[in-house]
Amino acid sequence: MTKHRHIIARLADFPSGTRRVVPIGSKAGIGVYRVGDRFFALRNICPHEGAPLCEGPQRAHIRAERSGTRYQIRYEREGEIIACPWHEWEFDVTTGHALHDSRQRVKTYPIAVEGDEVVLYLEG
Amino acid sequence: MTMVGSAISTTGHQGGNQRGPEKLLIVDCDIHEGTRSQKDLYPYLPQVYRDQIEDFGISFGGLTYPSIAKGATRHDLWRDEKTHPGTDVELVREFFDANGIDYGVLTGGPYGAVAHPDADFCAAYCRAFNEWEVDTWISADERFRGSIHIAPQDPMLAVQEIERLGTHPKIVQVMLPAGARFPYGNRFYHPIWEAAETLGLVICVHPSAEGAGINSPPTAAGYCTYYPEMRAAWAQIAQAHLASLIYEGVFAKFPRLKFLFIEHDTFWVPGLLWRMDADWKGLRFRVPWVEEKPSDYVLRNVRFGSQPIPEPPNPEDLLTHLKWMHADQTMVYCSDYPHWDMDLPTKILSGVSPELKRRIFGENARELYRLL
Repeated sequence: MTKHRHIIARLADFPSGTRRVVPIGSKAGIGVYRVGDRFFALRNICPHEGAPLCEGPQRAHIRAERSGTRYQIRYEREGEIIACPWHEWEFDVTTGHALHDSRQRVKTYPIAVEGDEVVLYLEG
Repeated sequence: MTMVGSAISTTGHQGGNQRGPEKLLIVDCDIHEGTRSQKDLYPYLPQVYRDQIEDFGISFGGLTYPSIAKGATRHDLWRDEKTHPGTDVELVREFFDANGIDYGVLTGGPYGAVAHPDADFCAAYCRAFNEWEVDTWISADERFRGSIHIAPQDPMLAVQEIERLGTHPKIVQVMLPAGARFPYGNRFYHPIWEAAETLGLVICVHPSAEGAGINSPPTAAGYCTYYPEMRAAWAQIAQAHLASLIYEGVFAKFPRLKFLFIEHDTFWVPGLLWRMDADWKGLRFRVPWVEEKPSDYVLRNVRFGSQPIPEPPNPEDLLTHLKWMHADQTMVYCSDYPHWDMDLPTKILSGVSPELKRRIFGENARELYRLL
């Protein structure tokens, strides 16, 4: 098994909070996200109906926290949640897991910063 | 944002490339077209209402639950940042081409006009929308079929609009949102149903305007707080309308009238038919005008849109559901273009027999609207 090194972008050209969908791996490609100084990569296919998952909205993790008898809405981890452009299913970009069911998962890929380049290694 | 348009570029197994007798007839019974601006309707509106809208806005009222950004549309349909995909005639034509859609029924619409107290204003507004629909959409593509939007606050004005437009060869139905002042079997509406029956027009009911303006609350328990809660309540509104239609004897009185409920889900249909048939055995004497068992009226006079298609945890259970609701007779395909929860014809009913697919995607609607 050989590993192919793919250069996704120059670090300086890839600002935090943005994403790239690159035509590597399967035909659908792979979505690469930068959140702060961390990078994540997911297969661009939604497990529901095969939609181009990584072309949907990118947002925070919106969750509720109990505070006495009320809930407070928490707006956390800005940029770490993506929603499918078709039926809005939400996924965690850091793990590939669906928010509604952690058993449902999109394939993720290791990504690295080497010098001033963001790179992704694919096997095969 | 990149605009990919997967729904536009996708050509699946039922896609437009298919030719010959095997091509599955696809009739999409829910295409939401809309104006780019309120001003699009000004040429069709009396000056008094143009002034009123300029000064006070449209002011139909309504419960504007936050749903999905950008008009609750599917994001990848947007061709550019400015053009709402429901306002783009060319984009809808491309959507039909890519998905092999042979006919698409335009459902609009100006739904809030049923909930404002000024019946004259609302009738004029619906008429303006209808004229705009004919000029802008129906004349643009052979595949489009149109709806007559009405404001039922004054049934006589609604009948006039149905009679004015109902003989247009591309107009196939009268459109009403499910939000209403009375359940649809109520005799208040009978002049409207009579006019539709006479002209062979379907009455199509789509969620909207529940609890808005002068309408009844959206549930008997009160007002919903959130959008997903409201969506879960849609089915009970359709159930109330359907039971009312049956027990008020609408289909005994208007035997050729057809009702189509779209986007109300269908999980409730088998259970309601069973309940009504069981009750009718012992309670028929309370509603003696109901001369046939309720499910017989439903099978003959009522149809249901497929979208949103049920997604049971075990996909095989969908086949049981479709059998229970007699989908081979009662279900018609709806995409709900351009909304976020739309169903593409290539993505639903993959486990269903070719014959049942033929019924749901095309034949049931072809018979309902007397197409071809």
